Amino acid sequence: MKALSSRHQSNPIWRFLSSIRLAVFLLITLAITSIIGTVIPQGESLQFYLEHYGPDFFLVLKALHLNDTYHSWWYITLLGLFSVNLIVCTLRRLPFTLKLYKRDSLSITPERLLRMPFKRTWKIRGDLDNISIQTIISSFKEAAGKSREAPDVDGGRLFLAEKGKWSYWGIYALHSSILVIFIGALVGLFLGFKGSVMLAEGKTIDHIVDRDTGGYIPLGFSVHCNRFYISFYDNGEPKEYRSDLTISDGKEILRKSIVVNSPLKYKGITFYQASYRAIPEASLRIVSPDGRQTLLDIPAFQSVLWPEARLTFGLMRYEPENVHGRPAVQIWVQNQAGRVKAFWLLKGNEREFNQGKNSYRISLANINERYLTGLQVKKDPGVWIVWLGFAILIFGFAVVFWVPHQRMWLWVGRQNDKTLVILSGQTNKNRLQFEKNIKKAEEALDSSIGAQK
Amino acid sequence: MTFSSSYFLSLTTFIYLGAAILYLTYWIFRVEKVGLLATLVTTAGFIIQTLGIALRWIESYKLGYGHAPLSNLYESLVFFSWITILVYLIVEWRVKRRVIGAFVTPFASFAMAYASFSPQVEDSIEPLIPALKSNWLIVHVVTCFLGYGSFAVACGLGVMFLFKDKAKGESKGILGALPSCKVLDELIHQTIVFGFLWLSLGIITGAVWANNAWGTYWSWDPKETWSLITWFIYATALHARFIRGWTGRRIAYLSILGFASVLFTYFGVNFLLSGLHSYGSP
Repeated sequence: MKALSSRHQSNPIWRFLSSIRLAVFLLITLAITSIIGTVIPQGESLQFYLEHYGPDFFLVLKALHLNDTYHSWWYITLLGLFSVNLIVCTLRRLPFTLKLYKRDSLSITPERLLRMPFKRTWKIRGDLDNISIQTIISSFKEAAGKSREAPDVDGGRLFLAEKGKWSYWGIYALHSSILVIFIGALVGLFLGFKGSVMLAEGKTIDHIVDRDTGGYIPLGFSVHCNRFYISFYDNGEPKEYRSDLTISDGKEILRKSIVVNSPLKYKGITFYQASYRAIPEASLRIVSPDGRQTLLDIPAFQSVLWPEARLTFGLMRYEPENVHGRPAVQIWVQNQAGRVKAFWLLKGNEREFNQGKNSYRISLANINERYLTGLQVKKDPGVWIVWLGFAILIFGFAVVFWVPHQRMWLWVGRQNDKTLVILSGQTNKNRLQFEKNIKKAEEALDSSIGAQK
Repeated sequence: MTFSSSYFLSLTTFIYLGAAILYLTYWIFRVEKVGLLATLVTTAGFIIQTLGIALRWIESYKLGYGHAPLSNLYESLVFFSWITILVYLIVEWRVKRRVIGAFVTPFASFAMAYASFSPQVEDSIEPLIPALKSNWLIVHVVTCFLGYGSFAVACGLGVMFLFKDKAKGESKGILGALPSCKVLDELIHQTIVFGFLWLSLGIITGAVWANNAWGTYWSWDPKETWSLITWFIYATALHARFIRGWTGRRIAYLSILGFASVLFTYFGVNFLLSGLHSYGSP
């Protein structure tokens, strides 16, 4: 590792890529360029941009993909460079951190202990017996916590209580979390999908429409919408959208009511309540030549076959209140031969419809509302990696800023026929807390040494 | 007058305005007793505001809506001022420098005054729309606003730093009353670290919530993007300390720029840009 790093230290490209200046430059550049996509509407048709921004800016916009800024080549390049900077920075710092981590704080001399930011010495006349020394040591151990010993350092015994040495790795957790989040996003991008479907009450689907390509994505099972409910508050604001869904695989597997914030998940695919639409459904009364009556429900956007006469009906237009002040529908009818006729039906009026020799009387019995539920459908196997990245980010951040590496030393030895006791300490963050801790050790030593005098 | 939440909250507006004036008076005339009074008034205002927020919460249950008072612009402004005062009181208690109050309490009083007096801000209790009905609402708003409140304090400290830096070691006059540049620099750093953690948590909880509500944890919606821009700015401030020549003034500027970005994320996006986060619009 050492050889690797020193070989790279002199390489200017390596140094540039690992520099904190590049990190700051990229952060500022990302901050500034990210503004673009919040000012220019994203994901509109090219026509839209041409009309709003004129032909000159349109060329710039097209070249720089400003209609989809955050997926444009240059933005992705910035993010890529950001990742490279993170990785190279990490590799470059690794040998130093390793050295810091491996450094043995017990290989230190009493002189250096006296140069630490926190220090205190006690001098005791004459030799101390073993029991007294042991009392001093154990009072240090009690106050400072778990400690290690080097038996002979400059003729004395050295003790070290060390905490939080591992916190040097926090910065790696923090920085790698960004990469973990990127990896999670890429996994979702390549192994998952996002789509949507408008599903009418009473209908079943086994595929959805891909959001980006518009193509069909088979689900591998089917989803049936039993009912859609909408409720309102007294002030007219929507209170709840609820779809009652059934998942089946030939037979019913799972039934659940979904609302916004409470999706349905099956086989890694999640269904979210996203929107709804109310469509009219015309209910036609058809009187056959023999006097028999049939009721036929024709929802918008669908064709309905009436098997008896082999006619297919569809709803073309619906006017809740036409010029006569009554509801009216425009209906198309297609016979077996493929000939299509269209006509208006006004509520309360009847009209004749001839099919071959038969004459049918058709009237508009009713207009109902029928709901379509809009479902957002997605599969994202990378989402757990992203969550993991989030957790590491917060954990790493807390370690970097709040977990200190604290060291406290005690040296007990002889110096010019006196017994010398040195207490010293160092911390790399949170001095206030450390001062309190070392004060505690100091007081403990004060009282145990005081007893010796 | 009945003791309704709006009574307490309008009272808070005046108390915070009074506190801001007291802190300014303390800074300029340096009378210890005025400083102590400023702290007492701010604390009293904070308690009254807490009561007001709690009452509003209870009132929403009485109306049959039952949600935390964090759902529209009025409620978020009240909460922003509440959390800014909370963060400030903690800083004052730990650092024991009341003069900082002269630079922070104005933010809280402006927020309350805007919430109370602007005709654009509707203060009635409204029911929650389906998208906001989630336990994530409280977690997300509280984390974000802890960040915003800390950044408001950092911005106040940044302004102090620039004043002090201009004085060039002058020990008399009103600029002499400010803490030294070294102390301010350290305080700015600590406040930004604290705020950055909460902003990160705010973005994260927002992402988890969005994934649960809309099926995508990140959709480059303007609010999301602006919170990320704010995150980039403060990330810059945290890294800039390691570059020679970037400490001091530049970090003070970044703390002010960062707070401008916070304000844009908070208001600008609602007023000027459109997106999924339109709940806060007036």
